Amino acid sequence: MYRMRLPPWLVLLMPAFVILFAVVAIPLVLSLYSSFTAFQLTRPESITRWVGTFNYEKALGDANFWAAFGRTVLLLTVALNLEMLLGLGLALMVAKVTHGQRLLRTMMMFPMMFSPILVGFQFKFIFNDNVGLLNNALQSLGLTDVAIPWLVDGNLAFIAIVTAEVWTSTSVFAILILAGLFAIPQDPVEAARVDGCTPFQTFRYVTLPFLMPFIYIAMAIRSLDVARAYDIVQVMTAGGPARRTELLWTLIGRTGYVDARMGYANAMGYIAILLSIVFTVYFFRKLSAARTSLGMGD
Amino acid sequence: MDSALFHRIRRRVLKAAHFFGLFVAMSLICLPGLWVVLNSFRPTVEIMAKPPVWIPNELNLDHYRAMFGGIGEGGVPVLTYFVNSLVISLTSTIIALLVGMAGGYAFARYRIPGKGAIFVSLMVTRAVPGVALSLPLFILYGRLGIIDTHFGMILVYVALNVPFTIWLIDGFFRQVPKELAEAAEIDGCTRWQAFWKVEFPVARAGIASAGIFAFLTSWNEYALASQLTRSLNSKTMPVGLMDFTSQFTLNWGGMCALAVLMIIPALLLTFLVQKHLIAGLTFGGVKG
Amino acid sequence: MADVVLKGVQKNFGALAVVHAIDLSIVHGEFVVLVGPSGCGKSTTLRMIAGLEDISGGTVQIGDRVVNDLPPRDRNISMVFQNYALYPHMTVRENLGFSLHIAKRPKDEIDKAVAAAAEILSLTPLLDRRPGQLSGGQRQRVAMGRAIVRHPDVFLFDEPLSNLDAKLRTQMRVEIKRLHQKVGTTIIYVTHDQVEAMTLADRIVIMRDGHIVQIGTPLDVFERPMNAFVATFIGSPPMNLLPATVHDGQLRLADETTMPVPPGISVRNGRHVQFGVRADNIMPDGHAMPPTAHMAHVDMPVTLTEPLGTETLLFGTLAGTEVQAKMLNPRPVKPGEVLRFGIALDKCHLFDAETGASLRA
Repeated sequence: MYRMRLPPWLVLLMPAFVILFAVVAIPLVLSLYSSFTAFQLTRPESITRWVGTFNYEKALGDANFWAAFGRTVLLLTVALNLEMLLGLGLALMVAKVTHGQRLLRTMMMFPMMFSPILVGFQFKFIFNDNVGLLNNALQSLGLTDVAIPWLVDGNLAFIAIVTAEVWTSTSVFAILILAGLFAIPQDPVEAARVDGCTPFQTFRYVTLPFLMPFIYIAMAIRSLDVARAYDIVQVMTAGGPARRTELLWTLIGRTGYVDARMGYANAMGYIAILLSIVFTVYFFRKLSAARTSLGMGD
Repeated sequence: MDSALFHRIRRRVLKAAHFFGLFVAMSLICLPGLWVVLNSFRPTVEIMAKPPVWIPNELNLDHYRAMFGGIGEGGVPVLTYFVNSLVISLTSTIIALLVGMAGGYAFARYRIPGKGAIFVSLMVTRAVPGVALSLPLFILYGRLGIIDTHFGMILVYVALNVPFTIWLIDGFFRQVPKELAEAAEIDGCTRWQAFWKVEFPVARAGIASAGIFAFLTSWNEYALASQLTRSLNSKTMPVGLMDFTSQFTLNWGGMCALAVLMIIPALLLTFLVQKHLIAGLTFGGVKG
Repeated sequence: MADVVLKGVQKNFGALAVVHAIDLSIVHGEFVVLVGPSGCGKSTTLRMIAGLEDISGGTVQIGDRVVNDLPPRDRNISMVFQNYALYPHMTVRENLGFSLHIAKRPKDEIDKAVAAAAEILSLTPLLDRRPGQLSGGQRQRVAMGRAIVRHPDVFLFDEPLSNLDAKLRTQMRVEIKRLHQKVGTTIIYVTHDQVEAMTLADRIVIMRDGHIVQIGTPLDVFERPMNAFVATFIGSPPMNLLPATVHDGQLRLADETTMPVPPGISVRNGRHVQFGVRADNIMPDGHAMPPTAHMAHVDMPVTLTEPLGTETLLFGTLAGTEVQAKMLNPRPVKPGEVLRFGIALDKCHLFDAETGASLRA
């Protein structure tokens, strides 16, 4: 009797493939299809109305879309870099502590346990212009008399969102970089000091190159999760007021569910997915390059 | 002499700066969270007071009582949400772990043609933003009639967690020397026995932490849940938070109470596995 | 009785052949060491015998069974790994008893077997510790204990001593040999260390690039190397090889120094050869073994000395090649000092300059 034998690794990976195919790939094909139609949620029959690349052309010609796109890229760039720098600083500070470091490490992970939606509410309240913690504090300290409209002014709201984003995710960087700091072999560091490097030079030429893979891991992990920002923004400003904090994801959500224009939303969704994929692949590339340069590859 | 003094002073200053920096950083990290906890015990009037009340005059359990009592303005079916969250998160975590163990083992132990590409493409599925996924899923689930069911949510969360679980578990299995399984096979185990009796127990702690990571993701997820749940059948706690909001007002105290309920399990779990979690992420990633 | 017979055993990784059709038969109770430089295919051969690697061609027979398609667990072998491969989540006792536990033997039988093995290897006081709490040598002994508990037909050792420090290595070498004398099971042992091979083996199998180069007893391969590779690989320090040409029954080295062709070797005129002499057979006059019937003499400047106590290793340059010589009853030698050395020609070798094959019939 002839029996087809699949390689064992394929059998083992099969459940993962099947489930990701069913829950991610099929819906994505569906949304790809519907992005070429005039599908509206309220009129199911409209899914058969083929409009070609109309939705994409419309998105690409839509100033609102481009504004959201630009804002999303800006948010990601600013937030990821800030998180990286703050995380690095935090990790370096914590690594120097000898007593009670375990406690500090646990405290560092505190924000990671917060649901993004909760973070949204939390910061919505902190930045509330009327009863928010921040304005209350500023006023009580006599730094200002007026209520600063944190979530109303476009620029301030952007700052508020970045703050919330940075608060939740800096610890991801800090923890991974801390792990990297502990994994650094001491010999090169000591060699550099004996060779006459200043502490800064030691950091710059020995420690930092070694930390790079860890930083890229954090980047890769974060890039998988960037859409967490949707929850936060959705709650804090919902893209408002008047689209001043609109990101790709809030725009897509509103177009799809509130305006019920699914076809158009899916077209924009595809562009957002491509953006995520570019980020993710970019960081995985960087990661494997950094790994190879340190001889840690396969 | 002067130089020695200079260095001593400089070291003192640096030490003080280090301490101060740490203090500020830790405060910034912890205060917003602690503020939520504090507010869950304060009466709404006081939270909303203008000018602000900095030192709480009164702490009570009103918000918790309202939340669990289901009476008055805090009439939110918290327990149902809690149970939904628990069932969905636990089940999806267990399934994601099983699937992830199979996949992670495959990556750690077999020569796979195009390994890197397969790995990154698995990861990329995780990068699809929840909103972009929820639109087509919403339609598809509608057709299948699994909107607002535990099954539907579990399915989504398994898919959401599998890539990351595979990554973590791959890293943990890589730390288990291949020779262990070989020794077990020579000692008379089948491949299956070698896995369960040797490799699995050795990697157990790591696998548990991958599980907790998956659990937290499901426990805290909002974007998909908000679209794919409709009623008490399957609404989870993050979605439940929205019950405290209405068009123009927000029951902040009540929300804080629910938030505390959400955070406690997460806190416990994270505390339990923090060490393994870090090890897993870094081993998986760096020694890839 | 469990002879191990390899017939034409090959291993290919894709298009790359790492083991080329090896033939080897090992009789019951024999201690055979596979030795060779890294990448010579010795570990792969061992792993094929164990069943951890698929066999690309040929047959492996253990006892009277061809085991090519049997999984490791059905081959009745046991193996000691380079990194010991102890189960970190089990105590020493559980490690030792694991194979019997898997075989579902009764508990008292397991206990008895574990106790016996622990006794042989003096592990009894350590039985309730975990591998993490043991020293390198103790782990090594647990790994061996795990191997002997099930009374296998064959023991396989894969570079078991390479992770130990020099002192422990010597000690464990003795223990392994003692263990073999005690249990008498066939042992196939892989190492890259020729000292281990020489001291442990009944027979040595020297491998290179996936081929067996020579099989023989330790003294065999030391005294009668089949080619220049074996000559330089076995023995420490390695045999000196000097390029030479044959003229009228005389060897002529690169600098025109001449000496007779070693006795017992016939070689035609004009042939290019390599003249092989071990450090033990080139010694300065007055600090040497009693001279033999066939001696040649050369003057050689000494560049470096390595005093070893009872003897001193001398480095010199002869006909443009660095040569190591030995000095018995040593006296201090200054670098640059020219000494007169005697070469015991009847202990020397000639190898073909191209193929490296020994010219001794």
